[in-house]
Amino acid sequence: MMNKKGLLNILVLFLILLLLPVILKKYHVNMLTEIVIFALYAVSYNLLLGYAGLLSFGHAMFFGLAAFVTGISIIHIKGIGLIEAVILGVMAALIAGVIIGSLLLRHKGSYFALLTLAFNALFYAIATKWHSITGGDDGLNVLRPPINLGFTEISVGTVQQFYYFTLIIIGAAIVFSWIFTYTAMGKTVLLMRENEERMKFLGYSTNIARLILFIFTGALAGLAGSFYTLHFQFVSISAISVEMTTAVLLMTFVGGTRTFWGPILGTLVYITLQNYLSTITDRWPLFMGIIFVLMVLFIPGGLSGLIINLWDRLKKEKTLVAEGNR
Amino acid sequence: MSEFFVFFLHGLAYAGLLFLVSAGLTLVFGMMNVLNFAHAAMYMLGAYFSYTLMLRTSGEIWLSLIICPLALFLIGAVIERFLLRRVHSFGHVPELLLTFGLAYIITELVKWYWGNYPLAVNISGFLAGTVQLLGMSYPVYRIFVFACGALVAVILALILHRTRLGIVIRAAVNDNEMVDALGINVPMVFMGVFAFGAALSGFAGVIAGPLLTTYPGMANDILIDAFVVIVVGGFGSLAGAVVASLIIGELQSFGVLLFPKLSIALVYLLMVVVLIIKPSGLFGEEQ
Repeated sequence: MMNKKGLLNILVLFLILLLLPVILKKYHVNMLTEIVIFALYAVSYNLLLGYAGLLSFGHAMFFGLAAFVTGISIIHIKGIGLIEAVILGVMAALIAGVIIGSLLLRHKGSYFALLTLAFNALFYAIATKWHSITGGDDGLNVLRPPINLGFTEISVGTVQQFYYFTLIIIGAAIVFSWIFTYTAMGKTVLLMRENEERMKFLGYSTNIARLILFIFTGALAGLAGSFYTLHFQFVSISAISVEMTTAVLLMTFVGGTRTFWGPILGTLVYITLQNYLSTITDRWPLFMGIIFVLMVLFIPGGLSGLIINLWDRLKKEKTLVAEGNR
Repeated sequence: MSEFFVFFLHGLAYAGLLFLVSAGLTLVFGMMNVLNFAHAAMYMLGAYFSYTLMLRTSGEIWLSLIICPLALFLIGAVIERFLLRRVHSFGHVPELLLTFGLAYIITELVKWYWGNYPLAVNISGFLAGTVQLLGMSYPVYRIFVFACGALVAVILALILHRTRLGIVIRAAVNDNEMVDALGINVPMVFMGVFAFGAALSGFAGVIAGPLLTTYPGMANDILIDAFVVIVVGGFGSLAGAVVASLIIGELQSFGVLLFPKLSIALVYLLMVVVLIIKPSGLFGEEQ
């Protein structure tokens, strides 16, 4: 529902997020920044999984590629501004999306899942082997440069400054994705998932629509990846590994793929759980895996599906009570 | 010249192992339309079971070669009957997610129980020795690995094309509703094939232990190669798996010899070329 209510909700959420750093400790502001960044990553992933029904096991290649390009350009290009470094990262993800997307154009279902995993493995292998540029296992330390506006420079060195900067840019990207789902293109993707034959029959080029979506989500994941490097001021091969794809899959699925905001909720839950569970037990990935399998079996709608279900039931009961009183 | 021959033999050994892993994967996919992400994790379980078994008993691999596939057969049957069958009617994505989640859990359990470090598996008896080939000595075990792969390929081909069971399986691949209507218990056949695929992966895991050592990353390492085998050979095609395993095994081996820096990318390069020229794979039917 792209209506006044939806926009109002976003505005309220945005205001809350703007005020949160006032009451939160530095540690939690850091975590919040991480959640905002990964929320975009999960939202972009859900445009593929939830909206188009395409299960990708290679989303980290865009995330990691942009993370590396941003990091490497900051290290090697003297005096580069923050915005330029992010743009370079996103451009790299975009180009990778065009090339890989056109190779995968015709494939869906299991084939698509398998091929995306293979391409992710290729990117990971290159990042591991090209030690002189990527730093391999050791990673790269990246100092966050200031935003260069030509006439003046804005520093985003502190935790708070970077949080606000992230909130504005990444928040805008998330809202943009939300609007995208209401455009003709967004609707086409949704209808393609439901009945591709029919869409073809109606004269839509479904392969091209899939390609555009693939490139778009790749670029969004790239933006998240660039901010990942800027946030941690560090990037290593783990950013481009299959584990990074697994993480976004878990966030998205736990939150629920049937709503736009489900993955954002999933990211919040996942990162909070990760931060607390990992201090209690080393085995938290195991618990995460078990939760995931149980959800696939019993709660395929994820947390957001669960909430909507409960909400509907509550509403029904209310109306029943109201009717009983009459 | 002799150096080339050694690398050729290395390639054959890896091809044998690769075939053992991808045969089960492609069989299950062709039959049930399920891409089993947990396949490589079950292969890893086979390797770890074998490690423990060999440690506790005489240290002979023969016992493992019988017991581990049986254990994996049971695990596969349970996974199909109680987990996979539940989500089958919901389509591809839940099935993929389920097998993926299972792979994740198995890997974590392995790290928990056996530790997150490599374990060396030592073989004894004549398998640990060497033979004289063209005036050089070559480890028997590598030849044994290739022989196992070749033997399984022959047995599978015989089962699929020369027995009544094979006819049922091939028919179910083609049109399982029709086979169901003919009075054959298709869910049972599915369970059998899935469990058999798991057993094959367990067998491959036992074989892999002494060849590549046993470590928690072994599942992911072979999974990608097995996936490339399936893409290159064609989905669901046994002949394709044989040919693609040989190509990729040799490519891996000679890649290290000829282009050490590029070797890691060669396999993917082959995959990309096949995707451009014949997206359905060398032996695959057009979609």
